[in-house]
Amino acid sequence: MPDTEWPRYEVFKQDRPNRPHEAVGTVHAPDPEMALLNARDVFVRRPACHSLWVAPQDQVLTMTALEMELNPAWAEETVPEDAPVRTFHVFTRQHQRRTMVAATHVGQIQARTHREALRKALEQGEFTDRPVYLWMIVPADAITGSREEDVESLFRPAEEKHYRDQSYYSGRVFDKKALKRREREVA
Amino acid sequence: MTGQLDAQLQQALADRLLALADDEVILGHRDAEWTGHAPILEEDIAIANLAQDEIGHALIWYQLREDLTGRDPDETVYFRDASAYRNVQMVELPKGDWAFTMLRQYLFDVYERLLLDRLVASTHAPLAEAAAKIRREEIYHYRHTSTWVERLALGTEESHRRMQDGLDRLWPFAAQLFVAGPGDGALAAAGIFPDLSELQQAWEATVRPFLEQAELTIPQAEPLTVGRERHTHWLPILLGEMQVVARVETPETAW
Amino acid sequence: MSAFPRTPNTRPLPNVGLPTDPDYEQRLAEFEARIEAGEKIEPGDWMPYEYWRQLVRMISQHAHSEVVGMLPEGAWITRAPSLRRKLILLAKVQDEAGHGQYLYHAVETLGVDRGTLIHQLLEGKAKYSSVFNYPTLTWADVAMIGWLVDGAAIKNQTMLAHCSYGPYSRAMVRICAEETFHYKQGKEAITLYAQGTPRQRRWAQDALDRWWWPALMMFGPHDKDSPNTPALMRWKIKTKSNDTLRQEFVNEIIPELMAVGLEIPDPDLRYDEETGNWLIGPIDWAEFWQVIRGNGLMNQARMAARRQAHEEGQWVREAVEAYARRHQARQAPEKIAA
Repeated sequence: MPDTEWPRYEVFKQDRPNRPHEAVGTVHAPDPEMALLNARDVFVRRPACHSLWVAPQDQVLTMTALEMELNPAWAEETVPEDAPVRTFHVFTRQHQRRTMVAATHVGQIQARTHREALRKALEQGEFTDRPVYLWMIVPADAITGSREEDVESLFRPAEEKHYRDQSYYSGRVFDKKALKRREREVA
Repeated sequence: MTGQLDAQLQQALADRLLALADDEVILGHRDAEWTGHAPILEEDIAIANLAQDEIGHALIWYQLREDLTGRDPDETVYFRDASAYRNVQMVELPKGDWAFTMLRQYLFDVYERLLLDRLVASTHAPLAEAAAKIRREEIYHYRHTSTWVERLALGTEESHRRMQDGLDRLWPFAAQLFVAGPGDGALAAAGIFPDLSELQQAWEATVRPFLEQAELTIPQAEPLTVGRERHTHWLPILLGEMQVVARVETPETAW
Repeated sequence: MSAFPRTPNTRPLPNVGLPTDPDYEQRLAEFEARIEAGEKIEPGDWMPYEYWRQLVRMISQHAHSEVVGMLPEGAWITRAPSLRRKLILLAKVQDEAGHGQYLYHAVETLGVDRGTLIHQLLEGKAKYSSVFNYPTLTWADVAMIGWLVDGAAIKNQTMLAHCSYGPYSRAMVRICAEETFHYKQGKEAITLYAQGTPRQRRWAQDALDRWWWPALMMFGPHDKDSPNTPALMRWKIKTKSNDTLRQEFVNEIIPELMAVGLEIPDPDLRYDEETGNWLIGPIDWAEFWQVIRGNGLMNQARMAARRQAHEEGQWVREAVEAYARRHQARQAPEKIAA
């Protein structure tokens, strides 16, 4: 049997309620549930996280503005008349700053295909108030997400792992008793 | 807090906390052995999480015990010989393969989760508070390890065989989790710590149908019912490694 | 997904330009203008083959280094002398796995899959940082690696966070945010040991003696011996040269090591008043190349450990995938048309 590293899932992380989900990277996983758990272990070793989405990488359309410009044929496709209309989540990158996220959730669009969703996004202009360098189009039905009730067990425990945070190391040196007092304070 | 307990209950609670902490620190050690050697990169990260959680829980239990006895957690871990440890034998067995590791973790996680469900209602407030904190992580552990057990048991012929081998080996050992120590009756009567035979029933009611639905056969083996003072030869080997650095200096030395 | 083509002039991705392409010169000029303007190059954007090749080479080596880098310190998790140190070390080695994960992701955006890269590593065909081919002989080595080796790594990674390739830059920003903890915990521990018991002091100095030169070698050969540097700097994959980074590092760390009472194992070391630089003695590049070529103390053991984990994990990876195939078959959503 050929060896495998498992398929890839795009991971979208929401730091706090009322903040948009952001594309943070990918994990390898055999199925969506394990992708969600792996995403938690890979991307939420430190706070903060309120919600995680994972979606199979081969069901996410990623395209850059330059790619579309050099290859105008990207938009051409034959959409079957009876193809059902689905919800697509739209993520964009609209700046050139140094950050740790590739793209940010800006809204949703109803369409029959990924490319139709992207065409509509460009035509409507709703998301292009500033130049868009990178687009990610994610069908809602391809997403597996954490639930509100998962926050306590999946994300809150990272808040207590103080030793993973650089601010925990004060630069001072403690003898055993002083360290013990400090540990209790931190806890 | 501790003033509410009479000397006898205090001793019983200290003993039980030692058992809880020793289970976690030894299991955490076995999980930690996988770091850098897991089946895939994502699992290196996941198993290191489990190990950190278990060792973190051990620290919480040792600290509660320290409040009762004044015994320093590190000294308790690093300067005690195998005969003074009170962990169950199940956690000291060598790490085995990934099937054995996930199954052991699953059997332990179900026990721990059901225990914590009860401990959050303990009449001893510090215990109830600690349990509430630990329980959040255990809900995740349970989700993680039950996900793994189901997939490996129903995966390929090889993975199924390895899971069945693991279960045949582990099942008799799991019963020792529910062996009561001398003080446990008094703790249960005072509502400090749950009754272990009721806990065992709840545990079996959870794990049996789950394992059977995963097409594993529960072995008909004699359960291990010896007390926690009895160990296999694997424990001194494990401690020899764990304590080797700490013991080059005195317990007072800061690291 | 494509493997890693070794032959030049094989187009690995549609957006990778070859010098033989009719529009190559024009695209290259646009590409270099974008980089000059500080824009990030994103997956899917046009890029010259050499830019693609250098990125795959560099990022995959970096990813392999993180993964192999779990081993020297990971060996001491079970022996950590306090519960606190055990938690810290577990978290640190866990981060290294995480950093390898982020970096493999960055290479994957260039169309090279992780299975191919890991296969190359296990077959001995891929490079990784030579520093991880040295053994960890005492507990203080773990702390010294944190302070010295991670300190050196942070210099490099902070520079790479400015990289022109978006995914590599983003991985570096994420890694730098986490890596500072690695450095600080090591510094805390060495500072304690350097003032601790006679044995702790001996261990701390011994660890510095053995890790000092390997840490300095991490920045790579001198600029004059580094053929890749001009291209890497022109395209802002790197923004500082090996020697520049090495000098910045020694200037920062030497006073700190001396302040805790440790002696730098370099008889030629001197401070240059005029430039404010610490000038180090000659680096033993013969040793460096020996280790790179596979003759370091631990090369074979490191690869054996990685191979064993991979081989023993194969049935696991297959089993859960077999389970997934059976259980997902009923409701597989359609894939994007290519």
